[in-house]
Amino acid sequence: MKVDVALFAYLSDHQPDGLGGRHARAFDLADGTRVADVIADLALPDQPRIVFVNNRHAAEDSALHDGDRLAIFPPIAGG
Amino acid sequence: MDEARIPEVELRARLAASSAAIIGCGGLGSNVAAMLLRSGVRALTLIDFDRVDDSNLNRQLFFRDQVGRLKTEALAETLLRIEPEARLTLVTERVTAENIVGFVLGADVIIEAVDGAATKAMIVNVCTGALPETPLVTASGLAGYDSANDIVTERLTDTVYLVGDLHSDACAGLPLLASRVMVAAAHEAHAAIRRLLGLREP
Repeated sequence: MKVDVALFAYLSDHQPDGLGGRHARAFDLADGTRVADVIADLALPDQPRIVFVNNRHAAEDSALHDGDRLAIFPPIAGG
Repeated sequence: MDEARIPEVELRARLAASSAAIIGCGGLGSNVAAMLLRSGVRALTLIDFDRVDDSNLNRQLFFRDQVGRLKTEALAETLLRIEPEARLTLVTERVTAENIVGFVLGADVIIEAVDGAATKAMIVNVCTGALPETPLVTASGLAGYDSANDIVTERLTDTVYLVGDLHSDACAGLPLLASRVMVAAAHEAHAAIRRLLGLREP
């Protein structure tokens, strides 16, 4: 299945093409892949993150589906 | 972007009929509260567990004689001096994934204004999961002394607005300067106002 993956701020360095940037890349994933599997495969740092699938929050153990758009954003401290 | 002009009477009436929940009454939240109130939003929920400290006075809307008081109560006192008609709900509790939705339920817009990255993530994840139709404004990247022009507002999803430069981290030892914190606070307040008026970011 195809899932678009967008990584924001410093997480964009983890895009497999190494090009950075927040634009989404199309990932070819096995059926049943969960958000947490993508996070592990990309070796994202163990830092707080905001996770959206199709513009709504999704738990990291939720399964992805063909055509989904996954966006992960790392909040930055300060307030 | 051309936007239909809203007559001022109607604009103020719309804001007066709106409510905002502000999570965190520090550098961002105390200033956001004052700006929303001055702009006409009359119903505010102020959420913070903490007390005013000497170290807050360099950027937060508190006064020397309020040191030691609960931030919610000290801020409410100041806001009521600005606008005695303000309708304030004070929540003096530390927010958790379990209690946050109950505190913000019913607000027309939610403002995330806490300092820690983990709490920011929890607030955005839980609130957008439980209340996906309620607009939420969050801030990331406002510490340090980079240009104030690097702080921007953008729309992450249909309902989530992100303010900041997305990289300047207070945990990296960067100072929180009143000037830059206030820019971010103004962006948050203005993003909320635009949304309350039915205007959209690109």
